[in-house]
Amino acid sequence: MAHRRRGVGVGRTRAGASRPGGSVPASGQRRTSSAAMPSSQMQIQMPQTQDDRLQKKADEMHALSMQSALDTVEKLQVKLADFAKKHQSDIQDDPAFRQQFLQMCAPLGVDPLVSQKGFWAKTLGVGIGDFYYELAVKVAEVCFSTRSKNGGIMALAEVCDTLNRNKARRSSSSSKRKSGKKDQLYSKGDIAVAVKKLATLGGGFRIVTVGTSDMIVSVPTELDQDHVEIMALAQDGEGCVAVENVTRQLRWNEDRVERALALLLQEGMVWKDDYHGISFYWFPSVWKEKMAIEAGAQ
Amino acid sequence: MTEGDFEYPEFYSFPPFFTIQPVEATRQKQLALWRELILKYHTQNKLKTLVVHECPLWKNDSIGRKLDETAVRTVCSDLVDSGHGEWLDEEETACRILWRKPEELATDVYEWASQTGNVGGGICTLYELHSGEDVNGASFEGIDEELLRRALAILEDEGKCTVFQGETSSEDGIKFH
Repeated sequence: MAHRRRGVGVGRTRAGASRPGGSVPASGQRRTSSAAMPSSQMQIQMPQTQDDRLQKKADEMHALSMQSALDTVEKLQVKLADFAKKHQSDIQDDPAFRQQFLQMCAPLGVDPLVSQKGFWAKTLGVGIGDFYYELAVKVAEVCFSTRSKNGGIMALAEVCDTLNRNKARRSSSSSKRKSGKKDQLYSKGDIAVAVKKLATLGGGFRIVTVGTSDMIVSVPTELDQDHVEIMALAQDGEGCVAVENVTRQLRWNEDRVERALALLLQEGMVWKDDYHGISFYWFPSVWKEKMAIEAGAQ
Repeated sequence: MTEGDFEYPEFYSFPPFFTIQPVEATRQKQLALWRELILKYHTQNKLKTLVVHECPLWKNDSIGRKLDETAVRTVCSDLVDSGHGEWLDEEETACRILWRKPEELATDVYEWASQTGNVGGGICTLYELHSGEDVNGASFEGIDEELLRRALAILEDEGKCTVFQGETSSEDGIKFH
């Protein structure tokens, strides 16, 4: 990668300037005594005519540190590319490693996920972007296939479990795998990245945090804070709410509760359960997640 | 398989499953799940008839829920409307469960006949076809005779078998071509 110089007005005073620690440029050495003083004193002692020169110097120094920062970033990007090349298989196979790699890229303004072509795709072979696009398709499939039961809300953990189960089933059915490597599972972080990919396509894909869980919503229905709070309340219990316990715990009037529940019911996000004269409203998504946790605990 | 071995699907423990849903789309899904459950239950346990007031499916004690009478009616009507059940009486107290649609059953029977070498002149009785040793594990093992006859009628129309009258209806003979 070429080391192009960026920044402004740094052409002249380059030599030795990238030394860290704010080194004093050559032309400033004549005034070392004044430069060492605190800046407030300096301004008082400086004759008016030197003001401009000082400003100019300050600009130069600023530009230099800017340049050195840019150089550092550029070097880091090169390092990152080397790193990616070296650990290509880890990035593609190990979810924890992949997550950390992405975290490393983010502050440098590098997003390997969007680089389908060009440098990153070449560096990473298939491209880590492809990995997430494929995963995104799978996530969408799982969400769509369960939509009629859960109204388009599904716990992220459940989606993750489902995909990993499918993956395990597939790899055990094709028992003669050429590599002895065991199939790596998707992490919840992977699923979250995939949902963000889907979000850019429209269609309402998003993650809504409810209490302690992340829920994937796969329908464009607008959910406001009221809906989310009701869902969180259901999560505190068995997965359901009744009008009465919402009004009591959230201190809303009945009207507000019923309005929120009406939408959730209409969208199939809750199912109604008439039990001993009281109507309970169950979230299949929350209920299923609780069942899974219970099953896991046993 | 005894009835105790039946593995209930997950949604059988979902309390609202026992309340007929007020929203149309959700209700359709719910009825489809009920249909699936009833068919699976009766097929796996080799039960030919659903007696409305005796069917254990309506009630799940482990979660303290049951379908009320109106709900049972709704579920049963849906089953009949979908072609998977037939009322046996006018009062609608018992329902024949069609494990498989007659066309599917016809295919199954003919496939069985080919595999067991009966095609091309082999003869068996109607009784043997639903309760004989050779049909162990077949989808029509233990099936209602009436349903079996319908499937055979389809095969006759296609020229794949001929049914001869026996001394009793169970002794009717079938020759596969």
